[in-house]
Amino acid sequence: MTDVIAPEAIPAPRPPRRPTRHTARWVGVTVLVIAAGLIAVLATRPPTTTTEVQSPLLGHPAPRISGVTVDGKAFALPRAPGTFVVVNFFASWCVPCQTEGPDLVQFAFQHHKSGDAQVVSVVFDDTVSGARTYQATLGATWPTLADHSGDLALNFGVRAPPSTFLIAPDGRVVAYLVAPVTAADLDQLIARAKAAGL
Amino acid sequence: MNGTLGHTGVLLGFAAAVVGILVLIVGLVRGRPDQLRRGRLYAPVILLGGIVAVVAMQRALVTHDFSLTYVADNNSRSTPLLYSITGMWSALAGSILLWGITLGIYVTAMVWRFRARADDQLVAWATLVMYVVCAFFFGLMLGPADPFSHVSGAIPPDGLGPNVLLQDNPLVLFHPPMLYLGLVGFTLPFAFAVASLVTGRVDEDWQGETRRWTLFAWTFLTIGIVLGAWWSYQVLGWGGFWAWDPVENASLLPWLVGTAYLHSVMVQQRRGLLRVWNLSLVIATFSLTILGTFITRSGVFQSVHAFSTSVIGPLLLGFFGLVIVVGVGLIAWRGDRLRSPGGIDSLFSREGAFLANNLLFVLFAFVVLLGTVFPIFYEALNSGSQVAVGAPYFNRLVIPLGLGLLFLMAVAPALPWRKSSAAVMRGRLAVPACIGVAVVVGCVLGGITGIEPLLAFGLGAFAAASAGRALVLSVKGSWRSARTAGAPPARAALAGWRGLVGRANGGMVVHIGVVVLAVGLTAATAFGQRGTVVLAHGQTGTFAGHTVEFIGTRVVRTPSHISQQALLRVDGGAVFTPAISQFGIGTRPVGSPAVDSTITSDVYLTINSVPDRGGAWTFGVVVQPLVMWLWIGGTLIVVGSVLSAIPGKRRRPTDPVSAPVAGAAPPPVADLEPEVVPSTEVPDARLSVGAGEAP
Amino acid sequence: MRSRRFPLWTLLGVVLVVALLIGSGVFSSSPPTNAQRAAAIESVIRCPSCEDLSVAVSTAPAAITVRATVRRLVDQGRSDQQIEDYLAARYGSAIVLEPPTSGWSLLVWALPIAAGLAGLAIVVVVLVRRRRRGSAALDADVRGPMVDPAVLEERRRFLTQSLADADAEYLAGDLSDADYLSLRQRDLARLAALGDAGPPTEDGGPGPGAGIGAPTAPAATLLAARPAEAVVASGGAKARRRRRNRWFLIGSVACFAAALIVAVPVFASGRLPGQTATGSVSLSPSQQVARALDQAAAVEDQGQLGPAAQLYQTVLDAHPDNEVALAQLGWLEYRIGQQGSSATLISDARTKLHQAAVLDPGDYAVHLYQGTLDLQLDKNAPGAVGQFALFLAARPPATVVSQAAPVLRQAYAAAGTPLPAGIPTT
Repeated sequence: MTDVIAPEAIPAPRPPRRPTRHTARWVGVTVLVIAAGLIAVLATRPPTTTTEVQSPLLGHPAPRISGVTVDGKAFALPRAPGTFVVVNFFASWCVPCQTEGPDLVQFAFQHHKSGDAQVVSVVFDDTVSGARTYQATLGATWPTLADHSGDLALNFGVRAPPSTFLIAPDGRVVAYLVAPVTAADLDQLIARAKAAGL
Repeated sequence: MNGTLGHTGVLLGFAAAVVGILVLIVGLVRGRPDQLRRGRLYAPVILLGGIVAVVAMQRALVTHDFSLTYVADNNSRSTPLLYSITGMWSALAGSILLWGITLGIYVTAMVWRFRARADDQLVAWATLVMYVVCAFFFGLMLGPADPFSHVSGAIPPDGLGPNVLLQDNPLVLFHPPMLYLGLVGFTLPFAFAVASLVTGRVDEDWQGETRRWTLFAWTFLTIGIVLGAWWSYQVLGWGGFWAWDPVENASLLPWLVGTAYLHSVMVQQRRGLLRVWNLSLVIATFSLTILGTFITRSGVFQSVHAFSTSVIGPLLLGFFGLVIVVGVGLIAWRGDRLRSPGGIDSLFSREGAFLANNLLFVLFAFVVLLGTVFPIFYEALNSGSQVAVGAPYFNRLVIPLGLGLLFLMAVAPALPWRKSSAAVMRGRLAVPACIGVAVVVGCVLGGITGIEPLLAFGLGAFAAASAGRALVLSVKGSWRSARTAGAPPARAALAGWRGLVGRANGGMVVHIGVVVLAVGLTAATAFGQRGTVVLAHGQTGTFAGHTVEFIGTRVVRTPSHISQQALLRVDGGAVFTPAISQFGIGTRPVGSPAVDSTITSDVYLTINSVPDRGGAWTFGVVVQPLVMWLWIGGTLIVVGSVLSAIPGKRRRPTDPVSAPVAGAAPPPVADLEPEVVPSTEVPDARLSVGAGEAP
Repeated sequence: MRSRRFPLWTLLGVVLVVALLIGSGVFSSSPPTNAQRAAAIESVIRCPSCEDLSVAVSTAPAAITVRATVRRLVDQGRSDQQIEDYLAARYGSAIVLEPPTSGWSLLVWALPIAAGLAGLAIVVVVLVRRRRRGSAALDADVRGPMVDPAVLEERRRFLTQSLADADAEYLAGDLSDADYLSLRQRDLARLAALGDAGPPTEDGGPGPGAGIGAPTAPAATLLAARPAEAVVASGGAKARRRRRNRWFLIGSVACFAAALIVAVPVFASGRLPGQTATGSVSLSPSQQVARALDQAAAVEDQGQLGPAAQLYQTVLDAHPDNEVALAQLGWLEYRIGQQGSSATLISDARTKLHQAAVLDPGDYAVHLYQGTLDLQLDKNAPGAVGQFALFLAARPPATVVSQAAPVLRQAYAAAGTPLPAGIPTT
């Protein structure tokens, strides 16, 4: 007698499970993650108008500041000037330089009395005569170097005017500013440097 | 008054967009076709709002109404009329206004074109997406990028005037509008892509229906980019035309992905393949236009072109993120419907070539995007130190990709669909390949060295010959069909023009244009020479085989600027006048170059330095061969696009490459040589039967 | 019978490779000159006051200064890396336009290459997997009883159209016989499988797709025209040849791609010291000499005698017999010697002019110079007159004659000889 197997006992053949392809989902997730990273970084960037910026010179001795002034006289700053020095690269056509000019005059006047800081200007990408007129109109009493060859700008790594460097009495560069400075900014920086023991 | 009018216009546009969105949502969700029909009526209202705002802005600019901040910042009493008009898009807020009105034009045109299908869900969803984009941009103008804000305080007597670089050249009238017509135009295929995903109707040929719109947008984007390069060359004074500037890259990215899309769509129409690719490409194109807007306007990227910083950066990034999330999400959701019914039968076929094309273009776009954003990333990861990514990086990575694309351009037009064999290809590409190798040999014999230029010239000749072959076959096919249809010989000869229009033939003309442009680009960058000549009045100097004679100087005064010009005679022929101009007072003098352009080379003259007292002037001379080929190539590309939009002989998208044109007598069987053995003597009689027009 | 075919493609390949090898300059590269090194470095240094331009192309004064500095440092013998470090120590690391291949910035080089390879790999893997799974797997989503009849119909329609397309392409000559047959087989198999699949139609028979099997009339005619064994022999020798052709094709494409990927970056972009990244048109030696002489003449016209003399000397170093350089250098040495009262220079000048006269007696300039020397140095008027006669006999241009007229008049007057015709008397 053959065994009759009841139909219900035979398990119905299950269709083979098609391996579900998650390719679309994986690719989608990857794209979303990359996009999210991109957006996160881009959204948190400050716009490119900050004042104080990095320079490879910070903390290092400043390059030699010497040359001919716009009046044709020789000028040289000692390696360790003994006072704070504000080196300001400018041009007569540069509108932000015109903004910060009066502040520099005020700063120079105040610190001339106390004797702890001086200003030196350097012409950047300008004619000597134009720069001379500009400084005279401003009432600048400090030396303005002509920098005919552009080497001074190169050694300081100046890209565009106005660029201002603050040099400590021992000759090291302590700050680099690329936006128009105010007298208050400079005083603050000097105070910060003095507090750091310079 | 202008400000109020402008605000009204912007508000009208924004309100119309928002109401349109609501009406369409009601119609779609509740399934009410009458609402859908009503929803499309808001498109002209958006356009009207845009027009009112533009009229207000132009009126303010032309009448020098300095009560508006925008006019005070970008216009002055001495600005000529032309530059007052173009002042509308010279700065950030106005450029958003231009974007807004372009959107208004496109959405109205779209609604009008698809008016017969206004109650179709697909069209309604597409209109909805367009309304959302309109609402976003008009919304930007209501808040952060308000072009009609009033000056705070007293109304200034005179304005600052436009950026000096933007008042130098009348091209500023054309370049931004053309560029925006291109960039904004990609919103339409994106809207349809989203609509098709949402409604699940991914099989319909919405790509075919929107093909001309996409082509239109692509053409104008190409014009915009080429005009931008030309402007850069004519105005900026460094003698080059592409600096891999972030803003230039921002316009190149959508172009690259859009070109990939235009090609890849053909595979979907022909065989239903690459659906996910096409949807991804069109969504990516639109997202890249938004990212490009961000790059140009956010202030995060330093660029000579960038607009000033603004708070709209995060908003644009947010919109970009939204677009990406929606796009990726929709594709992932509808993934199962997007499965292709077939696969690529063989990589060595036109489908395979288009797939390779997609890969190359996407990789190209990836390189450009990575190079543009990497400095930002680097600074974020290493605070304090920076890295620059400039032309040397891009050139090194992009040139092999470009050469690969040239190779594809050569091979693909001759590749049949489905599957190909070496025998077929050998026969078809023999002549183009000979031409390519002959060009390389000729260049080497002519003393040209450098593997990149040689490869570029050789592959370019190969590609141009291949495209030429396709065109010749197509024209011959048209002749044959005209003769078979019984036309007299003269008429039949003229009927050959049909072989030049239509998608494939226009595409071949575009390819030839691309080759011409690539050859010009290679020659100009690889063989350019730069130098200076120091000349006193009356002296003649030589540089790189050209003589420059300093004839004299001239001072030109206009209300807006003073120009010191130098008159130079080049090669004893015409006189050219490079100049240094001063706009206003206390601004930086701007140099303008003068160019002696001939078909073989350009002599580019600038004034580098003027002596304080009488003495010798220093002139910069840049001699670059084949620069004019760039502009000729660009023109050919546009001509080819226009040809491509003209309907050719109507043919099913699924006809094979070499099929006879409809109406021609079927080829007699004896003509078809049953050449079993692969040999190069496969008689071209078989091939000359078919017109070259691909589906 | 295999017809002998002209090995066109092999020939093309060989010619192309040889031409590219010659053109890439591997065989003729000489050590780069200082100028070439400087130019290569300048193309990767950013102009400090511009946004994206290199100092090589910018006309900004800051760029000019950087260029001068680079040249100075190259002349001092510093290496490329040293010069880049020198500038980075002043401007920051972002002064170099090419990101370094170390640290985080390695990413910007590695990512594109990785992405390209990944894309290629994904495509190949997907295709191989699809082929291995067979075309039946493509229709796995329309099998089973639960499938939507509309979707099934759509699939059938697609396959039918696919078959018709294959016929049309075969007729038009795009497909080879073997390809046509294999495509037909594949699509027919799929259609047949679909015909049994799906919900049964009303009459219980197989689905509507099963009727298609015979090729269309023209294609059938074409097939019939074939020699029978060629059609039947889908395996064997033809298949082997087909496979070999395919591998040959794949191999050559892969080689070409690999050569491109390797050769272009290495040759063109690998900045070997001093080599420019792009090509150049090489001048023949005579063109180079002509250009150097032009340059020297231009410098001399500007009044810079010393630099001009140096330029002529460099030409003479390379070509000691160049008569023009000899004559001009001699003349310059005389003038410089006069200014500095240097007897050695003047005697050297004389020697050079003699040499030049020997080399090319027909050059008017040499005789003019010699005559002037005779007159002004030796006060030898008759000798000067003799030289000037030779000068006039050599047909000098009118401008030169009028410029030389004063000294001619002086000589002729001192010698007591009447002025020849054609020389202005005032």
